[in-house]
Amino acid sequence: MVGRPLDESDLIERAQRGDTHAYEELVHAYQGIAFRTAYVIARNAADAEEAAQDGFVKAWRALGRFRRGAPFRPWLLQIVANEARNRVRSAGRRASLALRAAAEEPSGDAAPSPEAMLLSAEQREGLLAAVNELPEEQRTVLSLRYFLGLSEHEVAEALDVPQGTVKSRTARALERLRESYD
Amino acid sequence: MTELEHALVALGGELEFPPTPDLVRAVSGRLQRRRWRRPLVLAVAVAVVALAIAMAVPPARSAILRFFHLGSATVEQVQTLPPAQQRPITAGLGPALVREDAEMAAQFGIRLPKGVAPQQFYAQPGMISTVLRADGKPVLLSELKGDQTVLFKKFASPATSVQPVDLGEFGLWLHGGPHVLMWQFNFGRVHRVETRLAGNVLLWLDQGITYRLEGDLDKSQMLQLAGQITR
Repeated sequence: MVGRPLDESDLIERAQRGDTHAYEELVHAYQGIAFRTAYVIARNAADAEEAAQDGFVKAWRALGRFRRGAPFRPWLLQIVANEARNRVRSAGRRASLALRAAAEEPSGDAAPSPEAMLLSAEQREGLLAAVNELPEEQRTVLSLRYFLGLSEHEVAEALDVPQGTVKSRTARALERLRESYD
Repeated sequence: MTELEHALVALGGELEFPPTPDLVRAVSGRLQRRRWRRPLVLAVAVAVVALAIAMAVPPARSAILRFFHLGSATVEQVQTLPPAQQRPITAGLGPALVREDAEMAAQFGIRLPKGVAPQQFYAQPGMISTVLRADGKPVLLSELKGDQTVLFKKFASPATSVQPVDLGEFGLWLHGGPHVLMWQFNFGRVHRVETRLAGNVLLWLDQGITYRLEGDLDKSQMLQLAGQITR
C-alpha cells in the first residue's frame, strides 16, 4: 500500500498557505491509491487518470476548508471518487478486473505470501470471476476494502455512504461469494 | 478476518491495474496555470472597473495622468478633479455599529493600535472602519480585505503629492491639495458610489489587508500611527 510521508501535517499546512511544492509531495504520496480508487469505480484507465487529476486539483482548491489534524487520505479519496463516479455516468467501455499474467502461473522462485498460499491459480480465477459478477455497488465496496486495503471509514467516505451501508454491502457481497466460491 | 476475506486480500495483490500515470507533473502544471490566471483576471477586472468609473466623470475623462493600484484601492491622478463636496469622514459608510456587529458584517476582524478602544465602527462586506483620535485630531481608519469586495479609489489633482512609503508590502502617502475619494460598495453587483473631498491619506498593503488612514496629520504622525497597527 502507499506509504505516508512522515511530515504529512506539515505538508498540508504548507500547502494551505499556497506552497505548491508541498502539495506536489502530497500528490506524489497519494497518486497511486487515488488512481486505483478511481479505476475501481470508473473501470477505465483514461477516466481514472482524468478523475484522479481533477480530484487533486479540486482538493487543492478546497484545502482551505480541510480541517487541520483530520486524516488527509479519506478526504482526498472522497473527492477523487466523486470525480470517478461522475465519469461512470457517461458512456464508455468498462473493463473487468483481471489477474496479472504472471499471477496466473506463480513462479517457483518467489515465495508466496501466506494469503496467496490459500488459493490455487484456478481458485483465484474463480474467485475473481465471482467478484466481477457481483452487483456493481457490492463489487466496488469489496474492491476498495480488500483489493486496495481501504478502511471501512475510507470506503464510506469515498462512496459517500454511511459506514453502516459499507458493512451491509460487504456482508451481502461476502455471502454471495461464499455461495459461489464454496 | 475470515478465510474468504484473506483470499480476497491475496487476490488484490495479483490483480492487473493499469500503471499509475505521473499525476504530479500534470497537477503541478494545472496549479501553475491557475496561479497566473487568477491575478491576471482580477487585475484586468479591477482595471476595467477603475477605468469605467474614471471615464464616467467628464472632467477626468480627458486626462488620467498617473495610475496606482494598491490592494483594494486605486489611485489616479487627473488634470481636473471631478465635482465633490466636503463631507464628514464617515459619510456614506453606513450606520455606526459596535465592534462585534461590524466585524460580523465585514466578515473579518479589525486591527487597532494598541491601547485604543473606539466605540463606533462602520462596515460593509469586506471593509471595516472606525474613527481614532491621534494628536487630538480625528483620523479615519479603514481596513479592506478580499478580492475587491469593496473597492475605493481616488482622484488626485496635480497639486496633490503622491509618494511611495516604506510600510507593509507597499504604501502611498497622499497630501497637499484636495483630492476626491470614491467608495464603491458591492463590487461587481450594485455599484453604489459615495464621493467626498478627502484630507491627507496614508494607504498601505499588509498581509492581504489594505489599510487606509485619513486625517489632518503630517506624514511622520501618520506613519507613527500606522506603525502601531502593522509593522
